[in-house]
This record gives sequence, C-alpha cells and structure tokens, in this order.
Amino acid sequence: MQALVCSSPGAAAVHTATVLDRRLVADDVVVLGLHAPVLAAAVRPGQFVMTIPPCGMQAAVALGLYEAREDRCSILFFVCGPRTRALAAVQVGASLDLVGPLGNGFDLGDARDVAIVAGGVGIASVLLAAREAVRSGARVRLYYGARTATRLVEAERFVREGCELLAATDDGSHGFHGRVTELLARTADRPDLILACGPHGMLRATADLALAWNVPAQLSLEETFACGVGGCWGCVVPLVRTSAQAPHFPPAERGGSDVVRARVCREGPVFWAHELRW
Amino acid sequence: MVSETRAPDLSVRIGSLHLRVPTLMASGCYGTGDEFAGLVDPSAIGAVVLKSVTRMPRLGNPTPRLVHTPAGMLNAIGLQNPGIEWYLEHDVPAFARHDRTLIGSVAGFSVDEYAYVCERLDAVECLAAIELNISCPNVASEGETFACDPRLTASVVRAARAVTGKPLIVKLSPNVTDIAAIAVEAQEAGADALAVINTVRGMAIDVDRRVPRLGNVTGGLSGPAIRPIAVLAVYEVARAVTIPIVGQGGIETANDALEFFLAGASAIAIGTANFIDPRAPERIVHGIRAYLQAHGHASLREIVGAANVGFADAYQYEGDEG
Repeated sequence: MQALVCSSPGAAAVHTATVLDRRLVADDVVVLGLHAPVLAAAVRPGQFVMTIPPCGMQAAVALGLYEAREDRCSILFFVCGPRTRALAAVQVGASLDLVGPLGNGFDLGDARDVAIVAGGVGIASVLLAAREAVRSGARVRLYYGARTATRLVEAERFVREGCELLAATDDGSHGFHGRVTELLARTADRPDLILACGPHGMLRATADLALAWNVPAQLSLEETFACGVGGCWGCVVPLVRTSAQAPHFPPAERGGSDVVRARVCREGPVFWAHELRW
Repeated sequence: MVSETRAPDLSVRIGSLHLRVPTLMASGCYGTGDEFAGLVDPSAIGAVVLKSVTRMPRLGNPTPRLVHTPAGMLNAIGLQNPGIEWYLEHDVPAFARHDRTLIGSVAGFSVDEYAYVCERLDAVECLAAIELNISCPNVASEGETFACDPRLTASVVRAARAVTGKPLIVKLSPNVTDIAAIAVEAQEAGADALAVINTVRGMAIDVDRRVPRLGNVTGGLSGPAIRPIAVLAVYEVARAVTIPIVGQGGIETANDALEFFLAGASAIAIGTANFIDPRAPERIVHGIRAYLQAHGHASLREIVGAANVGFADAYQYEGDEG
C-alpha cells in the first residue's frame, strides 16, 4: 500500500489571489472563484490552504481546495462563524491571501473502483480526487450525506464529472433516509478504494466499514488548526508508529510509544484508516 | 529599505548571541523554521527558538489541544517531544543544515532533569543559546511551575548555568504575584536574559456538551488578549533587572513590538501572529525600522526602556549592549 506522503514538501507559498466570482450554492454555502495560477498548478487532490483573514486579526481558516484548473482555483465553505462570514464578504475583484498548497492529499494509486464518502462541507475536499479518478478510467461512486436536501450542494456537479451519485439525508428529504455510511454498508458491490472527508462520526463509521471489508480507506481528517503548516503541534491524531506518515518518535522499548501523534496539517490531513489509533 | 541616512541598527546582543534583527520566533510556535520556509523573508527572523525538549519522550496532551478565543487562542500541547536522546540522534543532525540562528529550549520536571538536558544541548554546536522553559502551564498539576517559585527558579537556573556556557534565556510565567521578584532570582542565579512572558493560564467550556473544550482541561492563552499583561510584566521586570529582556505576548504589529521595547525589552518574540499571517515578522521588522528612521534614531537600543517612566531612580537599565 502506497505511503501517503506529500510528494512536493516545501511547495507551499503565500499567494495573493484575486476573487473572480462568488457563488451562493445554498444558504450560507459559498464558492469563491480565485485567480491563483501558481496555486492551481501546484495543488494535488485533497490538499488545503490557509486563508489569511481579509480583515482584522482573527485566526486563519483552513479550507480544502475545491477546484483547480488552469489559472483558477476555488474554495467552497459553509458560513458558520465570524471567520467564514468575513471570508464570504470578500468582494469580487478584491484580493485574498492564501498559504498553500498544504498537506499530503489523496493518492489514488491504481484503484479501479473508488467510493468517495463525503459528509457536509467535506464535499469541498473531494472534487479534485473524483475528477482524477474518473479521468484515470476508474468507476467512481460518490456517497454523499447531508442534513437535508438543500445541503446536498454541488451534487449535480459530481454527476457531470462522471460520478455515480448515492445521496443520503438525515431527514429523508432526498435519497436514502439515514446516514451515508449506512447507505455505503448496504452495497453488495464493494469498491477497491475508499476516500472520505466529513464529520468525525462519519469518518469513524467509514473506517469501521473499511476495516471490516478489508478495503483500503484514506480519510481526510479535520482538527482545529493554529498554524496549519506543522509548527505548533496543535492538531494531532494518534497513528501507529510504523506508518510511513508517522513523525519520528522513539519506540516503546526506548521509553517512547508504538502509537505516536501525527500532525493533521503536516503528516496529513489524509491518513490510512487502518493506521489510525483514535 | 534604502534611505539617504544610514538604516537604523536593529541588532541585539545577548552574551555571545548576536541577532541582526530583534525578532525571535517563540518556542513551540515555529517548529524548526523549516515549516515556514518559503512563506516569509528569512532576513526578518533574528532566531528561531526551538520546541522544548525534555529528558524523556512525551506524547503530549490529548486533543483538542487548541481553542480559538475572541482575541487569541488557548493551547495545551503538553510538550510533545521525542526526548533528548532521540532528539540528538534524529533532530539535531538536520539543524546544522539550517542557516538560521537556532536557540534550544529545555523543559523538565526536576532540577536534575533541566541540568541533564541543558548539558546535552550545550554540546550541540549549532545552538546559539538555550532557553529554559520553566513556565509551561500545560504539564504540571494545577499549573504550578518552577517559574512560580523564586527559590525553585534560582535553583534550576543555577543548575543550568553550571553546565552551559551558552547564553541562557529564562522564560518566566505571568501566572505569579510578583514577576519582578522571580526575575531578580533568575538574574542572580546566572541568567543572561529573560523571556517575558509565557502564556497566561485559561480555560474554555463547551456549553452544549458541558465539558472543558481542551483535552487538558486548562491551557495557556496567547495572542493580543494577553499583550497588555505582557507589556506590564516587561515594564516591571525591566525595573528590577539589568540583563536583557525578550518581550513576548500577543505581538502582531510593529507598534505592538515597540510597546515592548519602550517598556524595556531588548528583543521580542513572535508566536501566535505567525499562525494568522506567516509574513508577520517582515511587517514587524519593516515597521520598527521605519519608526526609528522617522524618529531619528540610529539604533533600536536608543529606545529600549524609553517609556519606563516614574522609576527614573530605580531604573538602572544599561544592558550588556550599552
């Protein structure tokens, strides 16, 4: 199984992007289109950026890069607090500073049948991977869960990109009535690779299913970040020491541990489900 | 910055440690500096204070380790580090490849442990100085640290002084009644400089789940929320000691940094501001230079302690860099 190690460490830079367009894809769900040619060329599926706050000195916001093509990137986010509200208020034509691309990203390897599990805003981090998988000729199923039908944002976009859509809503207003991982569990047709991004409970259920099926799964995790680049060790997750992604640490017999704490922002955000000890 | 007059001298000397610019990257906030490579002009970085190392490996605290607060953040990392032996084997060899100035940082749970780790770091040639972190609020029970007790401060600094000739910077805690008294003890015990301040103890609670929001329950508050606390601490410490002070606590802009210099700091450290914008050190250094030029100063040293008024008789600041 390939190591999910960033192939281009140190490629991150500060980019001053220009906001090209702003789309409200649902209430309080925004897609900002950005002119950022260097970033667009550098980013790989599953990587993220830290957006430097446009006004005031609030903390930076970590966001998955939704689209990247030619000179253009976009970020998709839910407005859920003062920092994302400020980001949503950036005007078309204004500039926005971003640090990126950061993190390791997904690795499709030679998968032929990919199931992407996305919950809520997790959808923002999986479009590039879906496109790459479709382009490689793989079958791509998107298991997409949301609270309600109106929150299944951009679902049609994934269909246009060549994904099979399997939707689930908590209230049953669209697709399967229940959790997206329950929908995934019902398939008789198991994928050979799972990629997932979404809330903690969804990731855990995905990991449990993948381990039970013995199907490799890459999970894109979320933690509260401070720096986003690996400097502060605030965003860690327990990982087996033998993982290729594990930060170096002494083994148990030298007073250390066989489960170590890896930085979600630097060693991740994507980890193999079977290597996590959370 | 090109000007007809000579660019002001921003250099700082702390014993044998010479910094071209007075901006340290605060311990625990900046990795080794590699993490920020390419994001900031390296000439704006005087030195990087490395993450603290302890004698034994430490996994650190459970998550969540961070909570963003209205004017700063709480952290409770818990000194995650691989322990001194592993550090010397696996981290230190990479240090020699850096061209940035590196300052080691030592934390511990006993005087012997501090002395042991200091002695090991003393042998690492590429470390320009050692910071004694006697004030981490996130590891000891009830937040008690060496820096909360004048006698313990004196004994740990004395023990470290005995095993290293490198410049010794002692990082003090704001979580005390009289920081100046502790500062005097550190100076008397052989400190070359004082880092003022570490984080302020704090806590946040999730009202929906009715639990503390940090895995460690309590944490250390940093960012602009603590800046006035830090400025006052520098002001009080500067009146009590003659060794240089590295002021820190919520510095985001050149004006913030200037408050610390005017209160009596010879250098400053930047922590949380780098998380918001990694270019913060550039802005701060440019702004300090512009201020000194605008006010006709040839060097930063001319303004150190300039606002430390009301204590003219007691205030003896001359510093080593005089």
